[in-house]
Order: sequence, then structure tokens, then C-alpha cells
Amino acid sequence: MVAMKRYKKYTLGQIILMLILGAVTLTMIIPLLNILARSLSSPEASVKMSGLDIIPKNFSLINYRIVFNHPALMAALGNSVFVTVVGTAINIILTTTAAYVLTRPKLMFKRAIMIFLIFMMLFEPGLVPEYLVIQKLGLMGSKWSVILVTAVNVYYLIIMMRYFEEIPASIFEAATLDGAGHLRMLFSIVFPLAKAGIATITMFYAVLRWNEYFKASIYIVKAKDTLFQVVLRQFVVLGDTVSIVGQQNLWDYNELARIDYAALKGATIIVAIIPVLLLYPIVLKYYAKDVMGGGVKE
Amino acid sequence: MKPTERREPPKEKLSFTQIMRQLRTDMMLYIILLPTLAYFFIFRLWPIIGMRLAFYNYRARGPWTFAGWKYFEMIFKSPAFADILSNTLVISFMKFILLFPFFVLFAILLNELRVAGFRKYVQVISYMPHFLSWVVIAGIWIAALSLSNGSVNQILNIFNLPSIDFMTDKTKIRWILMLSEAWRSIGWDSIFYFTTIIGISPSLYEAAEIDGANRMNIIRYIILPALVTPMITMFILNLGFFLNAGFDQVLNFSNDAVLSAIDILDTYIYRIGIQNAQYSLSTAVSLIKGIVGVFLVLATHLVSKKVTGKGVW
Repeated sequence: MVAMKRYKKYTLGQIILMLILGAVTLTMIIPLLNILARSLSSPEASVKMSGLDIIPKNFSLINYRIVFNHPALMAALGNSVFVTVVGTAINIILTTTAAYVLTRPKLMFKRAIMIFLIFMMLFEPGLVPEYLVIQKLGLMGSKWSVILVTAVNVYYLIIMMRYFEEIPASIFEAATLDGAGHLRMLFSIVFPLAKAGIATITMFYAVLRWNEYFKASIYIVKAKDTLFQVVLRQFVVLGDTVSIVGQQNLWDYNELARIDYAALKGATIIVAIIPVLLLYPIVLKYYAKDVMGGGVKE
Repeated sequence: MKPTERREPPKEKLSFTQIMRQLRTDMMLYIILLPTLAYFFIFRLWPIIGMRLAFYNYRARGPWTFAGWKYFEMIFKSPAFADILSNTLVISFMKFILLFPFFVLFAILLNELRVAGFRKYVQVISYMPHFLSWVVIAGIWIAALSLSNGSVNQILNIFNLPSIDFMTDKTKIRWILMLSEAWRSIGWDSIFYFTTIIGISPSLYEAAEIDGANRMNIIRYIILPALVTPMITMFILNLGFFLNAGFDQVLNFSNDAVLSAIDILDTYIYRIGIQNAQYSLSTAVSLIKGIVGVFLVLATHLVSKKVTGKGVW
């Protein structure tokens, strides 16, 4: 870093670089801000808005009122929160305990277990055989199918093991002499010392859980049990407005049927993104801190 | 996807009593591990054993009847399969091979950026799309590419170019898959290369500067050579996942108009298996894909170990 300080800051090259990299980030920011602006505008204004507008016109919360008063969307949102919270908790309990066991230096069969896990990671069971197992277990239609079927991710387990391996062995030896059992070791040594790793993996799991839609779309059949991303896909990607706006409203052509669908889709996308954006600083703080140069200010 | 080295302690020969003693002290550890192992046996191993369905005719009640290679013959005789395989390989090629120089370039450009605040801004923004679901990304892209008031067509119109219906154009949809993959991953996937660049010893730069090297020389003779190993690792790693062309992405970007151009193995497995309930046929495709996939990964792991000294895991 010492060598770098000698460069002048705003040379022509630097400005060109800023323009190129700035343009890349604009392709990411403008569509999001545009969706946000449209969703916050009144239906009359938002239908006329351009795809490049990033400031709401004729500010209105009608789209969000519809989303947050919509029984199907709200039920799906509740289910998604449940699956994310319970699912991530299960992910973390299993992953941390397994990582602890598999990083004990003298464990017998450790190599055999690791080979088994890596094989499980590489060889994906087919979609249909998995579907039939879910059926046999009687989980079809239940939220627990989605929660249990992705209970451990081998790749994250291996990353967790790397974090645990960094804890000095002498700490464990000292704790063993003090008569600490495995569970106490896990809670009072591993958890506090591998905080960054656990936070990172928790975040990765939580994002996977929140973004889950495919398994939910085939295993959860009843509309009232479905997840937010599934409804979002139906509405935004497949363009099924009837299920959101309601056939009766469309026939009556009332206020709900006359809103700007693009703006309403925008509002549901924003609702789906917010939890991810709330978790995102955790990645920047723990996972990406080495590449962020000095870390992120809180 | 960081490749890592593992050093195993040298194996000592243990006597029978030592083994028993070790097992007794490990008992508690195995109990702690049990829920995780149970998960893998029930939700992963059981379906894998269930893949023998590829050789049987499915019956909901009663035993399955043996079918031999019938379903595999059906697959290899069907003209659709060749198209689907070629779609999968072409899309993987575009996403894994054509795209990856841009990820390297992004890391190099980011490193050249000296304005610390702006650099951090680029990082915060460009890492973010990686965490959005493909449902959300498809929603954003469909809105941006919309024929009526999408931003892309509005920009085209500013330059007096005609509007294009991107999402229903078979000739463009694969490029849209590639671009949306770039949009989602250019920041996040460049971290791998960026870490290597910032790990280069400052003394190398200093020595180069004393020799009168400019930035271009430094990129050419110091940074690029340092990136060769991570590039080979990433390249080989991607080869191992060549039969997964990105199911979540393709499913969300596809529609009836473009399906034939982007129908890949995984969408085919889903369509015939779950939607058309041809269980045995779908399982046979999964089995072929699974076995070829494992071979690809193992082969690339061995090649990677030989070439770069690092394995895939």
C-alpha cells in the first residue's frame, strides 16, 4: 500500500476507469431505483414513467398498501419468514456441530465421513427420486419438506470447518484439562472464537432460504402454505395477474383492477429484496472485509 | 469456490485396544454428528439409491417392474435429447468460458482504481446482485427489457434505433442469459481474482518501479502472471459443472417462444419428470447427468492437482 500512495488521484486514466466501473454499477442501480420509483408513484403517473426514471412521481403508497393487505401475499410472506428463520436455525445447528466434530484431530473414520460428504456434494440425486422420497416421508405439501431437504450444505460445512480449524488447538487442550465437555467447548470456545465464520455462513444460508422457490413450488401444493418467491415468480415472471388482483376485481374493473401492474410487480420485488439488503452488510463486514480495504464503517 | 489444501496428519498404526479406547472417547462426537448424518442418509443417499428407478417401470402401488435399458434407449433415440444436450453445452460455454475473462478484467480494473471511496462504492454495488434470487433478477430484467417502456429499448430509441422484443427472440435469449449472469456475478466472482491481486507482495511493485515500469508493464508482467493459477483453477472448476447450465436462471428467463433455444438438461428433467410424470425417463436423464458430472469433477480435480498443485476441494 505504501507504493500506491505515490500515484496522483485524479489522472485521466483514473477518470476513464471511474467512468467504466461507474457505468457497470449504473446497470445495477438504475433498474432497482426505477422499480422503487415506479412502485412509490401513483398508478396514473407510474404508467407513463420511463424505464430510466429514478424519482417517484406523484408519491403514493397504494402499491404497498395492496401488497401488505393482500391475503395471499401476506400468507406467503409469513411462510417465507418462517422457513427462513427455522430453516437457517436448523442449517446452523447442524453445520456448526458437524464442523466441530469433523475438525477434532483424532476422530476415527473422519476420512471416510469426509469422502461420503464430498460424494454427497458432487452427486446430485435426481429430481424425481427426491420427489418420491418426500412423498414417502409424508412431507409432501408441508413447509417442512423445504426446510428439511436442504438442511446441510456440504460446501458451507467445509467452509465452516476452515474457520474452526483456525482456532488454536491449545485452547481446546486447556479446556479439556478443565473438564469441559464437547457441548461446553462448542458454546464457550468455538462459537465466540469463530464468530465471523458463523455470521458469514448464517448469512449465506439465510439468503439461500429466503430466495428458495423451486423446491417450494413442487413440494408445497396448497396456496396458503406457499413461499413469497413462488408467488413472486407467478406474478412477476409468469405474468399471472389474475391470481394477485383476483378474477372478481378484474370483472368489476374496480380500483384494484385499474392500478399499474408494472408498479405493483415492482412493489412485490422490492418487498422480496428488502430482507436480503438487510443481511447484505453482514457479508461486507465479515466475508468481504479483506477485500474491502479497511472494512465497512457501521 | 475457493480451492483449499488440506494437510492430513500422518497415519499411525493403532492397536485394537487403542482403537476401542478412541471409539469410546469419540462416542459423544458421533452422537453430535448423528443428526447431520441422518439428514444425508434420508434426504440425499436414499434418493440416490432411488435412482435405480431409471431401470424400472414406475408403479405407485406394488413393486416396480424391471425395464432394463429401455429408458436409456428412449433418451438416445429421441431427437430432442441431442438438442437439449447441445443447448446445455452452448449455454455453459457462453457463461463459463466467454464470460470469465471479463471477471478477471473487472478485478484488474478495480485494483487500478486509486480513489478509495469510489472503489468501495463499486464493490458494495457490484457484489450485491449475487444475493438476489433469480426470480427477482428475472423480474428486474423482464421489466428493463420490456418492449413498451423498458429502459433498454428507451435507450435504443434515444439513438433512433428500433425497439427489440428481447425476451421472445430465440436468437437473443442466450445472450441475455449470458449478460444477466455477468450482471449477477461480475462483482462477486471477481473477488477470487481480486484477492490474489491484493496479495501480491508490494516489494514486487517497488522493484518494478525502480526498473521504470509503468502501470501497463506492471499489469502485463506482475499482475497477469499472478492470476494464471487462479484462472486455471476457476476454468477447470467450471468445466466440472458444465452440465449444470444454471437451472434457476433458465427456468425464470424461459417462455414458450424461446424454450427450444434454452431448454437444458435440468429443465428437461423437470418438465418430463414432474410436469409430465414420466418418472423413469426423467430419472434416467438425471442418472446420466449425475454420473457424467461426477466424472467431470473428479477428472478436473485430478487435472487441477497436476497443473496448479491445488485440488477442487
